[in-house]
Amino acid sequence: MRGSLVFYHPTTLQEAIGLLGEHGEEAKVVAGSTALTILMRQRLIAPSVLVSIGAIPGLDGIEERDGAIRIGAMVRHRDVELSELVRARVPVLAETFGVVANVRVRNAATVGGVLAESDYASDPPAVFVALDAEIEVRGPGGERTIPARDFFVAFYETALEPNEIVTAIRIPIPVTGSGTAYHKFVSRSSEDRPCVGVAALVHLASDGTCADLRVAVGAAAETPQRFPNVEALAVGQTLTPELTGRIGDAYADAIDTLDDMRGSAWYRTEMVRVWVGRAIETATDAAADRSAPG
Amino acid sequence: MIAEPRHIVPPGMLDANLRVRGRVPYAIDVVLPGMLHAKLLRSPYAHARIVSVDATRARALPGVHAVLTGPDLAARDDIFPYFGPIFRDQAVLAIDKVRFVGDPVAAVAAIDIDVAQAALDLINVEYDELPAVFNVDEALEPGAPIVHDEPRRLGQTFADIIVRAEADTNVCNHFKLRKGDVERGFAEADHVFEDVFTSPPVQHVPMETHNCVATIEAGIIRVTTATQMPFAVRASLAEIFKVSQAKVRVTTPTLGGGYGAKTYTKVEPVAALLAQATGRPVKIHLTREEEFVTITKHGVKIQMKTGVTKDGRIVARKSTCLFNTGAYADIGPRLIKNGGYATGGPHYIPNVWVDSYAVYTNLPPAGAFRGYGVSQAAWAYETQMDMIAAKLGWDALEFRMKNLLEDGQSVMTGEDMFDAHFKELLTTATARIGWDPAEEPRRNGSKVRAKGFACIIKGTVTPSTSTAAAKLNEDGSLQILSSAVEMGQGAETALSVLAAEGLDLELGQVSISRPDTDVTPYDQGTSSSRNTHSMGTAVGMAVADIRRQLLALAAEQLEVDPADLELVAGRVQARGAPSTSIAYGDLVRASRSGNLLANSVYASKGGLDPETGQGIGSVHWHQAAAAVEVEVDLATGKIDLLRYHAGVYAGRIVNPVQAELQTEGNIAFGLGQALFEEMVFDGGQLQNGNLGDYMIASIEDMPQEISLGILEHLESNDIHGIGETSLPPAMPAIGNAVFRATGVRITDLPITPEKVLRGLRARAVEESAE
Ligand SMILES: Cc1cc2nc3c(=O)[nH]c(=O)nc-3n(C[C@H](O)[C@H](O)[C@H](O)COP(=O)(O)OP(=O)(O)OC[C@H]3O[C@@H](n4cnc5c(N)ncnc54)[C@H](O)[C@@H]3O)c2cc1C
Repeated sequence: MRGSLVFYHPTTLQEAIGLLGEHGEEAKVVAGSTALTILMRQRLIAPSVLVSIGAIPGLDGIEERDGAIRIGAMVRHRDVELSELVRARVPVLAETFGVVANVRVRNAATVGGVLAESDYASDPPAVFVALDAEIEVRGPGGERTIPARDFFVAFYETALEPNEIVTAIRIPIPVTGSGTAYHKFVSRSSEDRPCVGVAALVHLASDGTCADLRVAVGAAAETPQRFPNVEALAVGQTLTPELTGRIGDAYADAIDTLDDMRGSAWYRTEMVRVWVGRAIETATDAAADRSAPG
Repeated sequence: MIAEPRHIVPPGMLDANLRVRGRVPYAIDVVLPGMLHAKLLRSPYAHARIVSVDATRARALPGVHAVLTGPDLAARDDIFPYFGPIFRDQAVLAIDKVRFVGDPVAAVAAIDIDVAQAALDLINVEYDELPAVFNVDEALEPGAPIVHDEPRRLGQTFADIIVRAEADTNVCNHFKLRKGDVERGFAEADHVFEDVFTSPPVQHVPMETHNCVATIEAGIIRVTTATQMPFAVRASLAEIFKVSQAKVRVTTPTLGGGYGAKTYTKVEPVAALLAQATGRPVKIHLTREEEFVTITKHGVKIQMKTGVTKDGRIVARKSTCLFNTGAYADIGPRLIKNGGYATGGPHYIPNVWVDSYAVYTNLPPAGAFRGYGVSQAAWAYETQMDMIAAKLGWDALEFRMKNLLEDGQSVMTGEDMFDAHFKELLTTATARIGWDPAEEPRRNGSKVRAKGFACIIKGTVTPSTSTAAAKLNEDGSLQILSSAVEMGQGAETALSVLAAEGLDLELGQVSISRPDTDVTPYDQGTSSSRNTHSMGTAVGMAVADIRRQLLALAAEQLEVDPADLELVAGRVQARGAPSTSIAYGDLVRASRSGNLLANSVYASKGGLDPETGQGIGSVHWHQAAAAVEVEVDLATGKIDLLRYHAGVYAGRIVNPVQAELQTEGNIAFGLGQALFEEMVFDGGQLQNGNLGDYMIASIEDMPQEISLGILEHLESNDIHGIGETSLPPAMPAIGNAVFRATGVRITDLPITPEKVLRGLRARAVEESAE
């Protein structure tokens, strides 16, 4: 019965981790609660203990440190979207958080929440994977760092161990001369989650060839999909439409796409093909703009 | 001679400011002392026999005041536990069988929602699952499982419907229309086209879900409910409780949206039965998930055969419409009439044959939905009109213009068209988007732009009745007693305008009551885009009566012939001699009657012959056109709406701001249904019954540029409903534009990017084969 729900507001991470340990399976972390409330109301989960991490100091900052942007787990989507620092250093991140849902959801949903939820149809995960972000977590055994590409394990499943809490994410600032893009493709209403979302980073060498390409596809499969062997096709090459097309085809072939109300597996495969190409093109244009003299 | 009344132009909705600040109370805000909360246990099966229901443990749960089950209700002879506007086919709680996933089987009243919810988990229901049917084709096959195998319980029926139910089948009702000689028509035709069009079930998604609070005090059943039809709810409760209608009192505050979902009885009976069982007020407020399975728009399959001559005249049309009415009839048996005759379209067609069926299946019940069957019909005929023009190489606009109804031509139900404005509406709409038949689709990279349009006709419920009362107070202020339901559409503002104009008062001197069946006179319901016309006429009649009384009283007081008097700003004065005048309030006091009273009845006439569907289909005909420019991404199939013009005939525009808002609302409804709205079922289980999975249009989906053409012809001296009228053309207009852009013709709504892309691929294969 919902009547027996207990709500804790610990003020230290230690305390929060302790509460999670004490109540085990019965306990859930609450951040913005945009996902949690829906799951509880639909009676898909029925925790008896909720541990809010909103009162713990130090989880809500955005800062630049050691060549990376570090964003605390309790930072709201809307704050990432509007952050001057993020816009200047990793604009694609601000853009991506800006296309999530609507402003009401963005004002509540947190960075830790979107990570821990690991919903296949979220936008930010693909960008985190493409940018080689690292997730800082804290648990009973202390702190550790998990690369984004290892963090998302399956549908609603992450590499978090029981009683571990996401505390922050570090996104390396892309090197000068690189361009980034995120394309969210919605197949129904504009406020829908993505049918597919593609994040790309292109680093152009001074001769205009591609020095580095990273492409991650979200919402097409259980977890964000990235294929270094396909990315490698671009290195040292000029990113011609023919080449981006081949990379799009390779991603389309490699991903075992899923089927839902936003599109069949066949349609998703076709959308991966199209949007991988488009994301690379946009990122290439951005890289060219940035490296252009003046 | 009475001078032309001055027209008041209101500033929009009179209480808009209060509304946006959350200061307008809704039914969900009602809290009564001792009030209990109700929850419903719903069937997990689409079709099953109920073997047993055991609520012992639930009843024992602390905080639970009552648990009702279907068998409990069936065993009582003090009640009649069924409702439904035409057939009494819906049990308050399922008796013997459940017929859809979500069919209520038991109800709990408890001290709060959580306890009520917990009690539901303690009720054991044993089911014996039965084979089920979900689509109309399966349902009509011989040997199909029968959804209603009990004899049809027919209630007092409507004047305008003929029930032709077929026993031992899933045919819930059949409407027939026979105009002219359709076979001769086809024989005269040079070309005959036959196509099938489908529309899926969709949800109304009113912001406020169904809810009510019921009490039983001193033998009076009292319900405050979010309904569009307080009198239908009263009649139904009286029948269920076997009491006279005078012992039932239904009050209705403003609604948080209706769109047809709140027509007829829904949650009121179960709340009232729980109130009776507990002796306490009981509130029920459906969750969004429950709302999705309470009432839907009919999914429909229409087979349409149209014959044209080589000079572009339509000479015959035959349609078979299969409306999936779900597990309970609701108003389906009547809706199929409107949706059926609507397939005749806004064209002059001498020979028309329609068979329209409401078909029972094991899906949630379908009923009234903004557009009332006409959207589904318009999707079929306006898409087919374009298909015919494309196949024969005709200009689609010219083809329409040759056939659109003019005054004096017979409509599909046989009566002569009058006050026709189809051509004007369509000409304006196409001009506004720069329609040019010679224009090729414009390509830019992978994107291509093109235009499309559609024009529709819609009837309003006929015959129908509205009554009103007016009271002129001793301070000269006017009160209107009316049962019109305010659901955000501006009923109150529109009636205020019409009442104030009749006596030359300021808007602030007029009040409009909210429906209260103990106090306000009868109205059939706020639906069918009828209120401003129908209740507006009734109010106008009552006010005209007050006006006559004022003139008679003033003639006496001022010793002036009534013919030489006029009403000006709250006073009666001698024409040309303003110094000879008297205030309304002084006249009321002089009359020594306390207030001046008037009653009025507006009853429209009409109805159709049961065998031919000919007669008076509608008291007047609602008319609309839409034209749109779309951009389609050929790589993804994704459609963007660039420009949209909505044209609708209003007769007189009573409230310009709200007429525009209603029309914009129709665009939002229309584009959602054109592009993505669809309830998806798997084995009768709804797959997207929440607002995370079911999409409605957001503000960002609106066309980049919208223009509205709300057409006024004051000389017609009539007010036409505009609440639904501009919705039906949206879907075919968008589909026609997509076809022109891509060559892909979609005949099954919604027009999703995936369907468009599949169509493009299929075309590419065909072209390479050539
Ligand atoms: C209407 C709507 C539309 C949406 N549309 C989009 C969209 O278009 N794109 C998109 O990307 N997303 C979308 N979302 C998802 C939304 O962004 C997520 O719900 C949100 O990111 C979750 O964040 P939260 O802070 O609210 O998490 P919560 O709901 O508080 O928590 C989610 C889960 O994560 C766990 N959790 C939260 N924080 C932590 C932490 N720091 N450490 C460990 N576990 C934690 C919780 O226990 C819970 O299991 C939408 C959501 C809604 C409601």
